[in-house]
Amino acid sequence: MTGNDDRLWKLLRDWNIPVLPTAAASSAGAAVEVAKTLGYPVVMKLLSPDITHKSDVGGVILDLGSDGEVKDAYHGIIESVKQHLPKARIEGVILQKMAEPGLEVIIGAKLDPQFGYVIMFGLGGIFVEICRDVSFRVTPVDREMAREMVLEIKGSPIIEGARGMESVDLKAIIDVITALSSMLEKNTDITEIDINPLIVYSRGSVAVDARMLTG
Amino acid sequence: MCVTCLSQCEISGEIQLTLKDIFEPESIAVIGASATPGKWGYTILKNLLGNGFAGPVYPVNPKATDILGHTCYPSVLDIPGPVDLAVIVVPISHALAVTEECGKRGVKGIIMVTAGFSEVDGEGKQLEDQLIGIVERYGMRLIGPNTLGVVNAHVGMNASIISRLPAKGGISFITQSGTLGLALADWTMEMGIGLNIVVSTGNKANVDDVALLEYLASDKQTDVIAMYIEGINHGREFMELAKGISKPILAVKAGRTRSGSKAVFSHTGSLAGSDDVYSAAFKQAGIIRIENIDDLFDSALALSVQPAPAGNRVGIISNGGGASIIASDTCERLGLAIPALEQETRTRIKELVPKFASYSNPVDTAGLASYGTYNGIVKHMLLDPNIDALIVIYVHTVMWDSRIPANAIVDIHRGRCLKPIITCWLGGAGTEAGIGILKSGGLPNYPVPERAVKALASLVKHHGFLEKVKE
Repeated sequence: MTGNDDRLWKLLRDWNIPVLPTAAASSAGAAVEVAKTLGYPVVMKLLSPDITHKSDVGGVILDLGSDGEVKDAYHGIIESVKQHLPKARIEGVILQKMAEPGLEVIIGAKLDPQFGYVIMFGLGGIFVEICRDVSFRVTPVDREMAREMVLEIKGSPIIEGARGMESVDLKAIIDVITALSSMLEKNTDITEIDINPLIVYSRGSVAVDARMLTG
Repeated sequence: MCVTCLSQCEISGEIQLTLKDIFEPESIAVIGASATPGKWGYTILKNLLGNGFAGPVYPVNPKATDILGHTCYPSVLDIPGPVDLAVIVVPISHALAVTEECGKRGVKGIIMVTAGFSEVDGEGKQLEDQLIGIVERYGMRLIGPNTLGVVNAHVGMNASIISRLPAKGGISFITQSGTLGLALADWTMEMGIGLNIVVSTGNKANVDDVALLEYLASDKQTDVIAMYIEGINHGREFMELAKGISKPILAVKAGRTRSGSKAVFSHTGSLAGSDDVYSAAFKQAGIIRIENIDDLFDSALALSVQPAPAGNRVGIISNGGGASIIASDTCERLGLAIPALEQETRTRIKELVPKFASYSNPVDTAGLASYGTYNGIVKHMLLDPNIDALIVIYVHTVMWDSRIPANAIVDIHRGRCLKPIITCWLGGAGTEAGIGILKSGGLPNYPVPERAVKALASLVKHHGFLEKVKE
């Protein structure tokens, strides 16, 4: 999974999908140095090839604001994982600059045996999990199709700025959907991919977390 | 282009030709014909003989000399004249041998009714592979196996177990479920809907959806393609092909229920069920996805006789308020607009209806259903630039004759207007005479407003696809 993780973030950067500055560290001291370079506040996530659902084993800690908090978090994560899954390989942690709050959306894709890649778009969090408010297109997805798939979900007024809320950058969402479509055409070993969440602002967006399965 | 491999290949011309040999053969053999009423070999032979098919039909069965007054041949090899198509209804133990004989005899198309192949088990799958081996070796084309047959109403060919030949019309129907498809074809006869080709695909071992779609796209008698689909084998090719077809394609896709995805790796993986993918692919290919089976032929009927409207703005005319409210509600639910009429139109309509009637859209004649009222209102609404399509409702009461308003709009429709008119003659007994006039005037009629609006919504969708998707 580590190999995939590295490749995934590189792919996102290569296809101009904005990502948060990220760096790895394999000791508490190194983690503090990395955090200082990224700028506070930061998020720390476990780096292990054996664990997919990192937060289930206490492997994710948000909003670390100082050197001391980073140091404590490092030891806390390692300790917690050892308790939950003693046999899991631990390669250290990943530090990421904490994203500014914005509108969380999910953009993903999967390989369908009949139709090839299908891209999904939806609002993040409970909207996707409970309401299933998502839209789909078979690739290749061009800008016009991407615009349609964003605007066809029930929650689209939120994107356009409902009830005095500020609208978010539709163009930035379209950029990511079309970039993902092009990326998949060139990386056909990918079987599933999620960018979740992509945080969208009034201008621009940033991929905060992502996962990928290859086959 | 070759329908099988979707690229230039040397046998492509031949494939087109042999599908023609299945749907428009000049001579047919029924291998496994039977003299026993109730057996499929009897039913199919009888259906082929009794519906006006012009060419020779040869029964084949080594155990008989004469069936239904026709000389029966022991083998296809013994038939004196040429044989384009063989309908095979033999026990599975003989299926491969008679197919081989068809190949030797120069038969070009096969409808394999015999079942017991891949739909049963692994052994059946092996037999099916051998069958296709034979078919390909002789350059034949095969529908099935496990098909309930093929109908071509325009040439009077009923090579199926459907009890009657459907009325001639512009709708061709591809069905993956044999029995359901045939029941539907029967139902269209009750409804008086005309069909062209009906094909039960069976296991799709040789001729698949892609080949059928390509054939029907180029078939001059087919105006609308209706499909009942359980699954497609070459999804991407199917989609690419459909994109290029400007004839309306309507599909009911069974299996809407979402099977829980086994993999829970990603949200997308668990949310993108195969049904969602079908919906997306259909939309992108300009295929109108229909929810329910009864809506399939409702929409197909409207698309086969009416033009696609230029937009989604609907005018509604009725002689009773309730029905037009239901129609407007359904329009709104399906994304169709009920716009205001031009001042000029309203002034004209006002002259035709009582003082207390509604002369804005939806127009309510307050009970009037005279020739002059319906003819005049429909005419003025068709001329209104705000209106793209009309729904004309007549609620039957003993005070009126259902034929009079029917004639009033058929007379306008004879002028071949470019805006579609959908009718709804409501009220059961007493409406039949009027509905008969509408039908023969080429106006699709529905018994309730919801169904009329749903059919119109498919017309609007097709127009949207023509503007956007179709190449």
